[in-house]
Amino acid sequence: MKKFVNDPANFVPEFMKGVVLANPDLLEFVPEFQMIKRKDRPVADKVSVIQGSGSGHEPAHVMAVGPGMLDGACQGAVFAAPPVDACYETIKALASDAGVLVLVNNYQGDRMAWETAIELAEAEDIKVKSFIINDDVAVKDSLYTVGRRGVAGNFFVIKACGAAAAQGKSLDEILAIAEKVNNNVRTMGVALTSCIPPAKGTTIFDLGDDEMEVGVGIHGEPGRRREKIHPANQIVDELFDAVAQDIPYKSGDRVALMVNGLGGTPISELYVLYAHAHERCEQAGYTVVRNYVGEYCTSLEMAGASLTLLKLDSELEAYLAAPAEVAVRIF
Amino acid sequence: MADITIGDVERAVKTTATTVLRNEHYFSDLDGLAGDGDFGTSLATGFRVIDAELPGIDKSAIGAMLLKISMLVSKHVGGSSGPIWGTGFMKAAMVSKGKETVTLVELADMVNTAVEGIMARGGAQLGDKTLLDALIPVTEKLKAHAAAGTADLGLVLKECADEAENAIDATRGLVAHRGRASQVGDRSAGTPDPGIVAIATILQDWCTEFGVERTPTVPELLKQTV
Repeated sequence: MKKFVNDPANFVPEFMKGVVLANPDLLEFVPEFQMIKRKDRPVADKVSVIQGSGSGHEPAHVMAVGPGMLDGACQGAVFAAPPVDACYETIKALASDAGVLVLVNNYQGDRMAWETAIELAEAEDIKVKSFIINDDVAVKDSLYTVGRRGVAGNFFVIKACGAAAAQGKSLDEILAIAEKVNNNVRTMGVALTSCIPPAKGTTIFDLGDDEMEVGVGIHGEPGRRREKIHPANQIVDELFDAVAQDIPYKSGDRVALMVNGLGGTPISELYVLYAHAHERCEQAGYTVVRNYVGEYCTSLEMAGASLTLLKLDSELEAYLAAPAEVAVRIF
Repeated sequence: MADITIGDVERAVKTTATTVLRNEHYFSDLDGLAGDGDFGTSLATGFRVIDAELPGIDKSAIGAMLLKISMLVSKHVGGSSGPIWGTGFMKAAMVSKGKETVTLVELADMVNTAVEGIMARGGAQLGDKTLLDALIPVTEKLKAHAAAGTADLGLVLKECADEAENAIDATRGLVAHRGRASQVGDRSAGTPDPGIVAIATILQDWCTEFGVERTPTVPELLKQTV
């Protein structure tokens, strides 16, 4: 393993410390609960939108804290849900009269930790609701499974809910917005390499030099199938078809199109993928109103990408266009 | 019939911590076969603290001690294991409140209450290829011995360890229905569930700790027990 780490056990708090030192006016760090929150939140008349999940997906989730986005987030260890206490303390730290909305990605650990934390918070009369995000089409819903995973579509749920909260919408209104985004967003990813959690020190699965994992999860979970790597456009076709046919999207739809890097793929390659994904949208009669190319939800240094489509209406378009600020920036 | 003392419970917790810490990487590697490879690390993070704090925590009663352990789990264990193991310790604590010793009947009630709590928290059932596939048969065995009034606690422990070990092979071929391994479809078939292996390993180590002779046969246990 070659990584920029000191003690692997301190990897998460050390990067969190860096985020806050780089954004001293905006953010504060509560090391005890591995929580980052906006300095100017909570306020009584605004809903606080929060999240908390395993690390290794940066910029999700703590680097998505800022005006118009999340008001606070706590981090677990790499790929592990935060402890119940951290979730509970994050709810408490952001509690407001207007309420707290917890956006939970659909993983068993995250769900159990937040369910327990919400029970504790409700026992103290804190107004809190949660919403489960599950945009990954690679995993089929079934009666017996935990269902679809929450992946890069999470960004759009955060963005829309954050904008609505900034405008002073009520907890129930913001919950309805989360539901609308989640109902209209679909994602599928592909991995070209595995990834190495710092505390583990070795790859989480093995993938041959000439292989790809189709439908990979953002924790390095094996996907649906492994096959020989194809040319980029063919990979886009497979992801696009799986995503577009799921809702399905239809000709005339206005969409947001995201090509998300999984951590180890250069931005140039992401734009190779974007070019063909954009063409596929045009061929299908979708108007790409907004586009997103870069890293939004990653798996450490995994080479790979995911493709996300979000079907828009005028309300969602306005929320996506609303101003926002997060720790990660290039200007 | 001898009762189970708070000292016995403390030894069992201490042994569990030793088991979890010794197998930190092995359990994570097993988890990496079909899951995301965090199981061993998540559990070890909490049991490292429990191991360090166990000598100093409140031992006025079994319930008080287990409640404190559940709080340490809630604070330090992330991933799915935090809510699952935390709930288990908390539920067992609730039915052993104020007790310095418990009978086998009371122990069976503690374990049964813990297992019911874990089922409610995670929503898993028998056959979903989670640690419940080890815990449920262990609980049934414990309840049967409690009902029969078995006096030999060593025999009870040995047979509980048998049940847990049997669960490894019984579930190896199953497709996981819960937890992150459920999301890879048929690919989870053929790999042992790390939670089930952990329960079986812990019970085998309890046998060793309490001087109960038992020889494991499943490869996952032969490799990892002391």
